[in-house]
Amino acid sequence: MKSDVFFLYLLPPIVLDAGYFMPTRLFFENFGTIFWYAVVGTLWNSVGIGLSLFGICQIEIFGLTDITLLQSLLFGSLISAVDPVAVLAVFENIHVNEQLYILVFGESLLNDAITVVLYNLFKTFCQMHTIETIDIFAGIAKFFVVGIGGVLIGIFLGFVAAFTTRFTHKIRVIEPLFVFLYSYLSYITAEMFHLSGIMAITACAMTMNKYVEENVSQKSYTTIKYFMKMLSSVSETLIFIFMGVSTVGKNHEWNWAFVSFTLLFCLIWRALGVFVLTQIINMFRTIPLTFKDQFIIAYGGLRGAICFSLVFLLPVAVIPRKKLFITATIVVIFFTVFIQGITIRPLVEFLDVKRSNKKQPAVSEEIYNRFFDHVKTGIEDVCGHWGHNFWKDKFKKFDNKFLRRLLIRENQPKSSIVSLYKKLEIKHAIEMAESGMISTVPSSASLNDYEENIVRPLSPDEMNNMREILTKNLYQIRHRTMSYNRHSLAADSSEKQAKEILIRRRHSLRESVKKTHSLNRNRPAITKTTRFLSLPKDTKLPEKLRIRNKKSFRVGDDSSDSELEAPTTVLNLKPRARNILQDQRHQQPQQQFRMELRNEVNGDHEGRGDHREAAYETHASRGYRQPLLSRPRFGTLSEENVTEDVRSARPTPPPRLVRWASDAERHNNKSENQTY
Amino acid sequence: MGSRASTLLRDEEIEEIKKETGFSHSQITRLYSRFTSLDKGENGTLREDQVNFRGFMRTLAHFRPIEDNEKSKDQNGPEPLNSRSNKLHFAFRLYDLDKDDKISRDELLQVLRMMVGVNISDEQLGSIADRTIQEADQDGDSAISFTEFVKVLEKVDVEQKMSIRFLH
Repeated sequence: MKSDVFFLYLLPPIVLDAGYFMPTRLFFENFGTIFWYAVVGTLWNSVGIGLSLFGICQIEIFGLTDITLLQSLLFGSLISAVDPVAVLAVFENIHVNEQLYILVFGESLLNDAITVVLYNLFKTFCQMHTIETIDIFAGIAKFFVVGIGGVLIGIFLGFVAAFTTRFTHKIRVIEPLFVFLYSYLSYITAEMFHLSGIMAITACAMTMNKYVEENVSQKSYTTIKYFMKMLSSVSETLIFIFMGVSTVGKNHEWNWAFVSFTLLFCLIWRALGVFVLTQIINMFRTIPLTFKDQFIIAYGGLRGAICFSLVFLLPVAVIPRKKLFITATIVVIFFTVFIQGITIRPLVEFLDVKRSNKKQPAVSEEIYNRFFDHVKTGIEDVCGHWGHNFWKDKFKKFDNKFLRRLLIRENQPKSSIVSLYKKLEIKHAIEMAESGMISTVPSSASLNDYEENIVRPLSPDEMNNMREILTKNLYQIRHRTMSYNRHSLAADSSEKQAKEILIRRRHSLRESVKKTHSLNRNRPAITKTTRFLSLPKDTKLPEKLRIRNKKSFRVGDDSSDSELEAPTTVLNLKPRARNILQDQRHQQPQQQFRMELRNEVNGDHEGRGDHREAAYETHASRGYRQPLLSRPRFGTLSEENVTEDVRSARPTPPPRLVRWASDAERHNNKSENQTY
Repeated sequence: MGSRASTLLRDEEIEEIKKETGFSHSQITRLYSRFTSLDKGENGTLREDQVNFRGFMRTLAHFRPIEDNEKSKDQNGPEPLNSRSNKLHFAFRLYDLDKDDKISRDELLQVLRMMVGVNISDEQLGSIADRTIQEADQDGDSAISFTEFVKVLEKVDVEQKMSIRFLH
């Protein structure tokens, strides 16, 4: 394997995956600590290892005297780089608490800047004959340039990517492509200017994540997520395979002293470094790091493929004992990855380190978190203390005012509480659609008490009954044969079903809460109209339609029928019209249902009559919630049937009723029947 | 800062505050100078609510980060003001506007309205409030009592979230 292949093709996907899914909030809260460890820690490690190895090499009996100071410093710099690949691979399984994870992982990402600079610095020093102090200062300046330049390139391209995705709502399928393209572009650009590519791609991924996620559709987001994870897994596997294969080769020169002392010094200097640095940084942290944390940080400093590639890249002319270095590097890597990696999990359990708790996200937690943020900002303001929260608040304001307006399409300033709530409700609705069962919102307080839900087992008869009822009554979409278009994907029917159930479920939840409050909220109309506002953001309704619907509902049936007419005559096959049509139906389920029912009674006598009879048997007494209905019709222009039947005044057959949620529905239904 | 501040704050008072809240001497003097600069009317209290300096310090003490050496201190004495349960009490009281030891739906709605902004409909906020109450409610009274509040937040790292670093 050439080092080119590694650095150009195998490393970027891994770093991109890491940067894209990094919890940014946690990262920035600990940014000072991470930066401190990455910069000062790496410097400490490389200088320490280099100097002590040089000291060892001076001892005659080991036969290493031809290694100069600069060479050992060079070796020290490349061996001290903590590797994100290895860290990710190991830490992902042991589930330590997020703070530890972000510290080690953030450090491994950020220390690339230092490593690159030091490596190149010492390499050029080795090739030069005389070194002046000006060169050293130039080296330090170069570090800043490399690091900050990389980050700037990454951020700039991240913004460009976010801006591009603002306009892609007509062509959704190429959105994932943009994400990958721009991030790779940032990497390559940074490398071209000899800046830190890893920092560039990390910065780009983190910037993009914030804005692109809002612009792309749900499907694109899923695609991006899975594709990124797949790429990074493949790269990781390949890297380790290559490392293994290269081990079995002729590139080795074994020297007991050098190898063992390298290993020893790596461990010692890392432990010392972490300890000393933590003492200093604890004075500045709100929550100090305990000894356990420090131990895990030190132990989790795994070396990996970056060291390996860097050592391969060494020019033989400058370093005559390259093979020795390679051997030592491989031994260190194997040791850290295998032995430290395998033993870290029992150690974590033995030391009882705080683990991350995989909990179900709850809206209440989000509320309290945001609440605490606000309170803290206020208190800091009162104290006159420009702390962390102050800057975060300022950034957020700036973000909302300028950046989001520029980069996000149809930007309604969204609260994280509302988005979390929507996400949870949609998830809930999809679960309900898939399992066909209703479950109430699990009270997280009671969930903490009972670890498992005891489900009452249903008899097969009941199951069949329910299944039958549900298949007949669940909302189904009219299928139309669309002209095949390569650039657009037809919406999935289960998605729309899920949306529908979401809305109904929210309504029933509201009803049940209202009932327990036993307040006489006489506003069924208003609850209906809000269905529009609570639809997921993809469904766009023209403004006037929305307003018309609001008004029409109060007036009564007649205008609502004409409402239905308007979109139906537009036999447009575009998805948007279909959405509008559905939304109409959402708004007026009861009336809709009745029209449909009459339709069925009239329309299809043959073959479906008996089907209907069986369904009628299942209705119970009044007061149960009426389900939504529509029959799938293939290819026929059935809307006209609907409107016809509406005009003809027919007595309504007893509605097909299904016991759905609570008896609170009765209240709602009575009012519905009255308006009709 | 300077002489004007320290003459108004006697040493015994500083000692009392130190014992009650746990702040250090320099922190207390610094906060006192801040208090006086906020106190524009120079009558020893802040605004109409008549918060005097002791109350100010007491409130701020809730936000001090928990330190390790305090945990082993005397268990008999009153709990320090920045313990986890006191922090939670403080947060609970911020929600509970009518002080009936319960967070009702309306109180939650008010808080949500203030936090979330103006472009969300009332109904949507109502659903969010409903869901929050449902998630927390154990005894079915559609309001959140203090124990339920604690239960919901037991997985959240309150010590870290409700702490501010006070400069020495």
